[in-house]
Amino acid sequence: MSTETFLLELHCEEIPARFLTPLTSEFSTAFAAWAKAQGLAAPELEIFFSPRKLAWRGALATSQPDQTETQVGPPQRMCVDEEGQPTIQGQKFAEKWGLDFSAVRFDQPAGKKEPCAVVVLTKRGRPTIELLAEALPGLIASLHVPKAMRWGKSDFEFVRPIRNILCLFGDQVVPITVDGVTATNSTWGHRLFHRQHPEPVIIATPESYESALENAGVVVSVDVRRSRIAEQLATLAAEAGGHVVADGELLDTLAEIVEFPRIVRGDFPPAFLELPKEVLVTSLREHQKSFCIENPKGELLPCFLTAANRPDDPAGFVKSGNEWVLKARLYDARFFFAEDRKHPLSERLEKLQALTFQRELGSYYDKTGRMVAITKALATRLSTDDEHINHALEAARMAKCDLRTLMVGEFPELQGVMGGEYLKREGAHQDVWMAVKEHYRPAGADDALPGTPLGCLVSLCDKLDTVAGCFAVGLVPSGSKDPLALRRAGQGIVRILWEQGWPLPPADLISIALGIVGAKATKPAGETTEALLAFFKDRVAYQLELAGYAGSVRRSALAAGWEDLADLKARCEALSAFAEDPRFASLAQSAKRIGNILKDEIANGDFDRGLLAQAEEQVLAERLLKLEFTPDQASLLAALADLAEPLEAFFTAVMVKCEDSALRAARLNLLHRLRQAFLRVADFSLWQ
Amino acid sequence: MHIQELILRLQRFWADRGCLIGQPYDLEKGAGTMNPLTFFGVLGEKPWNVAYVEPSRRPADGRYGENPFRVYKHLQFQVILKPSPAAVQDLYIESLEALGIDFSKHDLRFEEDNWESPTLGAWGVGWQVVLDGMEISQFTYFQQAGGLDLKPVSAELTYGIERICMFLGGYDNIFDLVHGEVTTDDGVFPVTYGQMRQREEFELSAYSFEHADIDLHRVLFDAFEKEGWRLLKDHNHFLSAYEQALKMSHTFNVLDARGAVSTTERPGVIKRVRDLACGCAKAFLEFETADVADRADKKTKAEGGAK
Repeated sequence: MSTETFLLELHCEEIPARFLTPLTSEFSTAFAAWAKAQGLAAPELEIFFSPRKLAWRGALATSQPDQTETQVGPPQRMCVDEEGQPTIQGQKFAEKWGLDFSAVRFDQPAGKKEPCAVVVLTKRGRPTIELLAEALPGLIASLHVPKAMRWGKSDFEFVRPIRNILCLFGDQVVPITVDGVTATNSTWGHRLFHRQHPEPVIIATPESYESALENAGVVVSVDVRRSRIAEQLATLAAEAGGHVVADGELLDTLAEIVEFPRIVRGDFPPAFLELPKEVLVTSLREHQKSFCIENPKGELLPCFLTAANRPDDPAGFVKSGNEWVLKARLYDARFFFAEDRKHPLSERLEKLQALTFQRELGSYYDKTGRMVAITKALATRLSTDDEHINHALEAARMAKCDLRTLMVGEFPELQGVMGGEYLKREGAHQDVWMAVKEHYRPAGADDALPGTPLGCLVSLCDKLDTVAGCFAVGLVPSGSKDPLALRRAGQGIVRILWEQGWPLPPADLISIALGIVGAKATKPAGETTEALLAFFKDRVAYQLELAGYAGSVRRSALAAGWEDLADLKARCEALSAFAEDPRFASLAQSAKRIGNILKDEIANGDFDRGLLAQAEEQVLAERLLKLEFTPDQASLLAALADLAEPLEAFFTAVMVKCEDSALRAARLNLLHRLRQAFLRVADFSLWQ
Repeated sequence: MHIQELILRLQRFWADRGCLIGQPYDLEKGAGTMNPLTFFGVLGEKPWNVAYVEPSRRPADGRYGENPFRVYKHLQFQVILKPSPAAVQDLYIESLEALGIDFSKHDLRFEEDNWESPTLGAWGVGWQVVLDGMEISQFTYFQQAGGLDLKPVSAELTYGIERICMFLGGYDNIFDLVHGEVTTDDGVFPVTYGQMRQREEFELSAYSFEHADIDLHRVLFDAFEKEGWRLLKDHNHFLSAYEQALKMSHTFNVLDARGAVSTTERPGVIKRVRDLACGCAKAFLEFETADVADRADKKTKAEGGAK
């Protein structure tokens, strides 16, 4: 079967970067499904995009495969006479399908009692180009655009106006029209290239797509653009005497917003280096999509790197323009930094009253009060050092003050960081300012925890108040709806507990936090506690997943209790190691068997060892007692492992549900006690 | 380039491309979009191209004339093209070339920036236009105005005049810009933006942040609202009612700069302005439609009479 290459390019006005990947992959999926439905082998389309282009390319058969179809006619005896000549009926059957009688065969199809006339028809596959022409407009129009727009007089909706369509199958143009734009074999290169070359770029064959456009100033592969940018960034940073402050997201953004990348280095007055590093990095990233450069000591250099959307900077305008804008931005940042420091950070505490945290839960001032109370309750449980406790309380009190600073007003993502930086400059204790600076961490699964225990504590108290408070006023995440990012906050709490190993059971945290929310709650405390416990259990389950434990380990360990996270962690570790042990399968099997036997039985665990008649059960009882005195989880599992053999022997030799009711009760109670011992580690009935 | 030269060139350029040259509307407003030439112009089906300068006031941006980049009042050059032409981006680029920008030497990007005016019940999608890293224009395809879906869609181009002038001239201080030159018998005297505006910036910033009477502005806000609805409801006068909405908007901005509007109060106050603006848009469109129907009706009658 011969194939040809298909190429489609929608040339639009600048498409927002965030839609490029979703739109191109959605079309690929839809196209593959369509091709499959047409009997065309579904190709893996190559994807290209740039700010003004969405394009796809892939090989397709030139036509659908031919299909054969069998038509059954009257019985053989009615189609041929005794001399073997065709009857009228026989001839009519052949004519009906446009065939000569010689094409008629006789065969006995399934379900027929006798041989019948049969013709085999060949349905020619249609040329792919026709199918494409019919299907593409619909496939394009049905692309899901999150923020669609209309333009001109039309009702057509798309992400941005479509201004040209290039559509080829081999060297043929696929004749399609979308919203008045008819496909051709040409497209447009870089906007500025065409200021000098007004002619469109002809794409003779799909294979020449990238090279023809590269010559017209467009690199259509985002991967190529990204690697060129990364390469130039590295070179220019090294020339400046440092390396770029890595930012994968910014790199992706730059690759998405230019058609022909060129990294340009700009400089700024060194005086601006007095600003905290985070301010400079954020300002450069947010305002100018620029990278900072740091020297080997981690100090910023007074220069930046940004991407131009053109191959060169012949008059230096790109450099001087970006420098000019950046100076204006940094001037603003320095103004905010100076203004903010005219008053100590603590003066903002009262002003937090005017900043609403949440309608029912009050202002950030109220929130700060609760955070301090929670911090007090937890810090005294974790430490007896008064200085330590006082630092924790001070950090909690100052944590939200920077929300009233000009700098955070300008760069909300610097919340916490600015509070820390201002406190540092006011001479606050390092423990305090570090804790304030990092208390929003972890901002997500990829983000690190605060670097100090105190930072972790303040972060935990902040998040705990948010989660418990919101649940208490009925703001509970459901399904995909979690506008307040409570799950993320809950996950942060669990991760901190998990990694710090603090002996703070979630149930205690919930009751402390709800006690402090107090009368602001609008939901009954019992209901809220229950919902929070379920919420935290989910978060703990996810934490186990993040920690990389196997499904069986997670399920069975979690079901045996999750109140003490340090204990849960130890059990998961031990179980993961033990799962490799050959005795393990047997033990898990026995544990399940015990579960089945005890189903519908009443057992309390009290048994008279003297009643146990057989040697196998005596051995088991002895081992059980030893087990019950094992204090830590790792040796408990070792002791359990040693039970594998005796258990197997027990089940082979002993009939648990025997006639003698006293003996039967003793045996059931022995098993019950064994199950209790297992459940200290894991619920093996959930092991698969 | 002098500020006035830039304005004259833009006006010449757009007049040559079939735009009416409009004038600023003589009420305080935050943006050129609020001028009735735009607000009402984008509604309905009639073709409409217009370009004009609009002094735009942002009380919270006031810096007492001390910040070299930020001002209480700046100039916008506003262009409305309805329906949006197919080559609208090329037209825009040509207008920059008319200002002397040579694109063989500059970088130009259209970066997503969707525009929304909660006070006007208007939104659109588009870009900020970035020249060598500097935002010089806002480019919007209006999707809705006055709470009404727009068809046809208008393209709105908004040039920041001072920014472009500073950028082209390499100025580090807005007040150093030259507005133009005065020629007298004694010679030619350049007049700077600072000479013309710095004192005004100082006084209006002081007014917005310190001297504006909060109680009076609260009363005014309520009064403008009442007046607006009275004009709209009792008389179906959408133009005079819209003026009251503009006054409400500015009064709100002053209160906001004075720190007199809390975050919780804010959306409610904005909604009061929007409700009136949307009421005006709706009344305008009904009037237009009735007007078109009326004329069609008269035309039919006239033709009928001739037979």
